[in-house]
Amino acid sequence: MTTRFLAMGIALYASSVLAQTPTLTPFDKLPDWSGTWSMMGGTVFDRATQTGKGGSIDPGVREHPPYTAEYEKKYAEHLKLRDEDRYPDVQTNCGVPSGFPRILNLPDAYEFVVRPDVFYIIAENGGNTMRVYTDGRKLPGKEDTWGTYTGVSVGHWEGDTLVWDTVGLKGDRDNDSILDRTGLVISDAAKITTRMRKINNDTLEAKMEIQDPKALTKTWTVTKQFKKGKPGLFLYDYGCAENNRNPVDLVTGQTHTLGSDGKLIK
Amino acid sequence: MKSVFTVSFAALVIGAGTVAIQPALAHHSSAGFSDGTKLVTGTVKEFQFRNPHSWIQVNVVDESGKVTEWSVEWGSPNQLGREGIRPSTFPAGTQVSIKLRPDLTGHPIGIFVGAKMSDGKIVGKWSDE
Repeated sequence: MTTRFLAMGIALYASSVLAQTPTLTPFDKLPDWSGTWSMMGGTVFDRATQTGKGGSIDPGVREHPPYTAEYEKKYAEHLKLRDEDRYPDVQTNCGVPSGFPRILNLPDAYEFVVRPDVFYIIAENGGNTMRVYTDGRKLPGKEDTWGTYTGVSVGHWEGDTLVWDTVGLKGDRDNDSILDRTGLVISDAAKITTRMRKINNDTLEAKMEIQDPKALTKTWTVTKQFKKGKPGLFLYDYGCAENNRNPVDLVTGQTHTLGSDGKLIK
Repeated sequence: MKSVFTVSFAALVIGAGTVAIQPALAHHSSAGFSDGTKLVTGTVKEFQFRNPHSWIQVNVVDESGKVTEWSVEWGSPNQLGREGIRPSTFPAGTQVSIKLRPDLTGHPIGIFVGAKMSDGKIVGKWSDE
């Protein structure tokens, strides 16, 4: 009888340990996302709802997320400033990360590094980095989450699709995190579920479902695609402060231009 | 004239080859710049092939002999470098005509559209089509 109880105890303990030990997807079962990639299309975040002609810095261009009245008003204010050349990119003074989801809305090149325990987004522009943990951990609770530019992300593989949830975004809390240069923002209450997969040999797709009880009236779905770069391409660092000749006047919001001698032209 | 920013992938022509390039992204709204283009002709003082944006400095001499230095903003060297642009693309001392979208307040600043070198080489978008 004692032996039977002992055996049952060991079996229970073993199953409990197994339940807590995540099963990592081995390297040879992970999809090949190697190489370099670049975002397709311009840097208007939600091109599917874009109205107005041009890119995110052109007057008249805007998107139509399902904003609450409060956030639509806020967006309209940003658009007005953009049209008056008084809504500088928050990155203009260099050193501010792009954050998520903007990290999937950047020019220049990307690397998407797939490992069993973690997925890295490395954006040349910025440079910016984001981590998605795929080692079986759970998202931290509210008490253990505070707003950061890229938040906290955990994910898992569903076949060749990486699915991850992101919380803990600072959003527009400090007015230093935007989705694009039209002035599109989300709040610090946002939760984003992203499904990323290869739709053919040369194209990766990231479909983001954004839920935000403060800023949105319903789920906002945005899809970005990335084209594979030519083999052997070199990527470089991107020192924004290296030769930033467009400092911002923090009072007026106007962007200045410096001459080659560092003196103010306008 | 179509704005360079309205074109998702503007044509970049270097010599006989044609490659695609994303538009140059300034750190600011395009509201302060004309949608039309202006032609300036002068001598390359310096080509700053540095992040976050490249700048072509061109000395332009007017009829009275006064020299004005133009600052012409272009894309990041990372972006441009992959499309064949090099620090040597605009050597100092070279005669060049540059099409740019001028600053609306009249300062000698512009956003690069295209250039024609003294040897006939075209860089960027030169034709009006």
